[in-house]
Amino acid sequence: MTIIPYLLYLWLIALHVVVLRDATAVFGVTLNLPALIVLAVAIYKKDTAAAWFGFFAGLVMAAGGPPGQLGWQALMMSLLALAACRVRERLNLDSLKAKVLMIIGGVLIHNLVSLILSRADAFLIHVIDYVVAGAVYTTVLAWLFLLVKERTITVEKIKAIF
Amino acid sequence: MKWISNLFSGYARSVHFVAICALALVLILGGPKVTENAGGVAIAAFHYPFAKLKNSIEGLVGIAEQNAQCERTLIEMTQSLNRLEEMEREIERLRSVLNFDPPPGYDLLQARVLSVSGAVGPVSAVISRGSDDGVEVGMSVINQQGLVGRIVLVFLNVATVELLTDPAHRVAARVAESREMGIVKYRSREGMTLDNFPIQGAIEIGNQVVSSGLGGIYPPGLVIGTVRSVERPPEDPFCRVHLDAAANFNTLEELFILKERRL
Repeated sequence: MTIIPYLLYLWLIALHVVVLRDATAVFGVTLNLPALIVLAVAIYKKDTAAAWFGFFAGLVMAAGGPPGQLGWQALMMSLLALAACRVRERLNLDSLKAKVLMIIGGVLIHNLVSLILSRADAFLIHVIDYVVAGAVYTTVLAWLFLLVKERTITVEKIKAIF
Repeated sequence: MKWISNLFSGYARSVHFVAICALALVLILGGPKVTENAGGVAIAAFHYPFAKLKNSIEGLVGIAEQNAQCERTLIEMTQSLNRLEEMEREIERLRSVLNFDPPPGYDLLQARVLSVSGAVGPVSAVISRGSDDGVEVGMSVINQQGLVGRIVLVFLNVATVELLTDPAHRVAARVAESREMGIVKYRSREGMTLDNFPIQGAIEIGNQVVSSGLGGIYPPGLVIGTVRSVERPPEDPFCRVHLDAAANFNTLEELFILKERRL
């Protein structure tokens, strides 16, 4: 297992937590880039690698937050990665739509559990503006990422338009 | 030992999963010290560079905002300073005006210069007084330095002053010291001159030239200028006398109309 790409992903998560989360928020709706990266790793890598990466991604993601959430986030991300791997193996996900559906489901679950862990007030309101809206926002980004990754959009095709 | 290896390779996925769960449980149940250490490592390794970068960017943004604010303040202060300097100059002018006495038998009517016109230099000025203020054609206009001109056009609230610098303007004048007379003209090339002054006349550089009052337009004794140069050409019956005008026609702001006191 080459460790460097995973380190880069972890730094990307840290960059998101420290700088990009607030900068990319739209009307208070934030991207869940850590969950997206973990799910992307789960789609394209082995389950053990994805599970360990999820564990460390949870650590990095929760490091700046309340100390009680560190272990829970690590466990949750790890389970998310493992579950995504299992779904991918069982359902043999090939189509773009199936991958997008899995990502939106995974982000929804992660957002919902994070909201429960944070014990925030006005739970139902946050389900709308944090869990659902955040999942949709993240899925839009995931869809674009998958379009590029699956080579549906390429530089040559964009050049051909113009 | 082989059986251990076989056991773990057969259940590799489970071993990994158990290890992850065990670590997570340690973090959850380990208490604040464990989470602090683990979180500290994650922060130091991953968050710290970006936090430092973010702080630097925020610092730069803050400095840029401060800089913009300083520039705005500097512009405002410069404008205030310019206003204050202008007020100071106005105060100086008004102070000199306060010490200014009108010629005997005349009242002073203060007026502001609204505009000055002339192709090369100023030859006429529009002032802020008109017939509503009792201004009439022919009235003399002076400032604290000396004679400026006369009223040639009057409207309700404004009037036009023909300045001494108009080439068509003539003033009957005399040298204050010798009382000998001449006519003051203004030529665009030579400037102000005293014409028709006899060659034998007593005149020296630095003598003051004042209105004689004989022309019937200006009251006597208004300062017109001082003698700058005197030439006495042998073939000519008159001196060539050049004057420095008393009034500075390029800086006219406040003027005074001489209104004859009627008994």
